[in-house]
Amino acid sequence: MLMFALRRILVSIPVLIGITLILFIMLNVVPGDPVALMMKEHASADVIERVRQQMHLDDPLLTRYLSFLWDALHGDLGKSIKLNRPVTDLILKAFPNTLMLAVSAALVSWIVGIPVGILSAVRRDSFLDRFFMGFSLLGVSMPIFWSALLLQYVFAMKLRLLPVSGFYGWQYMILPAIVLGWSSAGVIARLMRSSLLEVMRLDYIRTARAKGLRETGVITRHALKNALIPVVTIMAIQVAGLLSGAVITEAIFSIPGVGRITISAISSRDMPLLQGAVLFATVLVILGNLVADILYSVLDPRIRAQMRKEA
Amino acid sequence: MTTRTKLLLASGLASLMLMSPAFAENMLRVSYSEDPKTADVQMTTDAYTLPLNIFDRLVESETTGPGQSALVPGLAESWEVSEDGLTYTFHLRAGVKFHDGADLTADDVVYTFDRMLNPATKALNTDILTFIAGAEERLDGAADSVSGLKALDDLTVQITLTKPYAAFLALLASPGASIYDRDFTEAAGDQFGLTPETTNGTGPFILRDYTLNDSQMLEANDDYWRGRAKLDRLLVRVVSDSETLRLLFETDELDVFDLDYAPTQTPYFYGSDQWKGQVRSGPRVGIYYYAINQLKEPFGDARVRKAFQMAIDRQTILDKNFYGKGKLEDGVMPRGLACYTPAEAIEYNPAKARELLAEAGYPDGVEINLQQVSSWSTKWSDMNQIIQAQVAEAGFKANIVTTDEAAFLAARKTGEAEAYTQVWSADFNDPDNFFYTFFSESGTKVRGYNNEDPEVFAAIEEGRGMTDPAARCKLYQDLTARIVGTDAAWVPLFSLDHSYVVQPRVKNFVVPWNGWSDMSYYKVEVE
Repeated sequence: MLMFALRRILVSIPVLIGITLILFIMLNVVPGDPVALMMKEHASADVIERVRQQMHLDDPLLTRYLSFLWDALHGDLGKSIKLNRPVTDLILKAFPNTLMLAVSAALVSWIVGIPVGILSAVRRDSFLDRFFMGFSLLGVSMPIFWSALLLQYVFAMKLRLLPVSGFYGWQYMILPAIVLGWSSAGVIARLMRSSLLEVMRLDYIRTARAKGLRETGVITRHALKNALIPVVTIMAIQVAGLLSGAVITEAIFSIPGVGRITISAISSRDMPLLQGAVLFATVLVILGNLVADILYSVLDPRIRAQMRKEA
Repeated sequence: MTTRTKLLLASGLASLMLMSPAFAENMLRVSYSEDPKTADVQMTTDAYTLPLNIFDRLVESETTGPGQSALVPGLAESWEVSEDGLTYTFHLRAGVKFHDGADLTADDVVYTFDRMLNPATKALNTDILTFIAGAEERLDGAADSVSGLKALDDLTVQITLTKPYAAFLALLASPGASIYDRDFTEAAGDQFGLTPETTNGTGPFILRDYTLNDSQMLEANDDYWRGRAKLDRLLVRVVSDSETLRLLFETDELDVFDLDYAPTQTPYFYGSDQWKGQVRSGPRVGIYYYAINQLKEPFGDARVRKAFQMAIDRQTILDKNFYGKGKLEDGVMPRGLACYTPAEAIEYNPAKARELLAEAGYPDGVEINLQQVSSWSTKWSDMNQIIQAQVAEAGFKANIVTTDEAAFLAARKTGEAEAYTQVWSADFNDPDNFFYTFFSESGTKVRGYNNEDPEVFAAIEEGRGMTDPAARCKLYQDLTARIVGTDAAWVPLFSLDHSYVVQPRVKNFVVPWNGWSDMSYYKVEVE
């Protein structure tokens, strides 16, 4: 298992370098000047030229890329052009907020999504199934800015139970977690349902039933383990995605997380900060996939055997 | 206490302060849509709230009435200007202390301005100091100090200019000219202004907490030389979503609601029985305009430009899009600006515009492009849509081109921008801030006008150095007639009022003379 994880991590290094290169080229192809963007309406040609030189933004592309790579390999992601702070600091300070949002949203989506999916599959085509699936569809299809506004209006404005926005304690986390969790709970519930239904049709389930096992036993001990495999994949990727920043949710609820930083880096063409944020997100997605693979092996002995062979 | 306990306590305290009105008693809670990035005003050209509250300037621009201002002594108690308009001698107030207890001296002033011009600072606000003798040499790295900056003694600063500049005092009152402490700032290096520990000024408030993309907490400076502020604390929150902002205000988590961030809420607040008495509104010394690029055909022809001026029904836009809260403008200078007099009115006359287009060789109309930026507020795209329909009547077939801000600014830099609409608000109360910005040799290109008129260039340069106020105002009024009337190079639209809604407990809230969202909260009180 350890060898397998190590191998996967080593293989991802070229992926990381490739991504920085693509990003670097893309950002230099699209028009836009970070200094002009910092000055906005006050942009004056002389000042822009001078500050660009002072910041080495006029150096050749290759020189800049290589110096970025060199520093990055030494653990220095450089300084944000717009915010004038070290990129690593910015990301590490924002990350705990994003982590808290991601974990609470993921918990909401699992606690709601998995049981709802199982119940819908077991009571297939019943009223309960239709109600749950309608609820999931609503979660998947309702844009976050809309559900957020709705919940803010009801729980903060009308009932005065929860704060509107900000990030000053656990009670501030409830609405964003529900908003973000609801949308992914829908995906998980639907996936859980269809995956369980598929497994329930297989021969070994019939065997289990023929042995005289009770239906709950059949589902929890036999069906669920196999039905969870695709759900786990989605869950791991989802958490990785949530960790790299839930841009809209962070903006609506004024949460100072990684998503806000990334968006401001894009719109201000803040190359070092964007490189840092994207690298960070890439690492998270790679780790997310790795965790998913390891979880597979826990759930499925065939995959475990395959891994041993690969390692 | 462990760091963890401290953090828990701090977050608990912060949440208590935010949630409970009892703790908020003597704290004013305001918000802005973007993080200010830094308190160091030399490094920003658009986020002035922190500098205006943490630092002072030699001279201050004080609001004396709606849209009116006066230059009053700040850190400088008095000053003299030499006959030739070149030498300014400032006498500093004795006994002024920085937040860390250090005394303000003339050397701090010299240091502050030298730091701005020092190439190592990479400052963005250098434009305000380029009139000082030796400034260009310092900026270019050819000199180690600025020859025009001298500390004559502990409390006397002498500033020499390369040529007389009538608006120099007004410039020194702009936020960019905030004064820093030499020892502290040198020690903080490039971290100055980024955290409470690395920020130090003489101003009415002290920066106590700064969480990026979340909030800044300021506390009253007990030893402030003008007397302690009435507020104990000032909380500045960063709220980027306008709906969230309104909910925060209506649930009493914010004290001031700036309608600039949510203009569509104007009818609601003005019409609500609960809130209409709480609206505070004032004129803005700023002008909405349409920029037309003379390098882009058909705008090279003055007749086409005149037709475009006449084809826009500005009153309708003002009424429909801005609920009539403003005034039509016909010149380059908006109401409230020094030297302002109403210019000759531009009439709305699509029939005449059509004739002018025909005269210019476009009897069947002509295609034009109107540019807008995707990340800007929807008020701009709404304006473009209405203008597109209006000018169609005169024969302009307008295409709306949407790009992101970076692409737009890149096009402007090369003089390639299409026609666009924007607003310019006064940084300092002087016509030069408008004329130089848009119609000087360097300004006309980067603003996307390309109004290559050597006589206008010369007149603007002359105006900068004139010392006779009456003759100077006359020059700007004549320039207005030429630029807006004869050349039709400028399409003035209107100036808007700036409206805020405040909670009933907020007293003494005065809309700043220039109508900025960024302001000093020194005189505001809460009950």
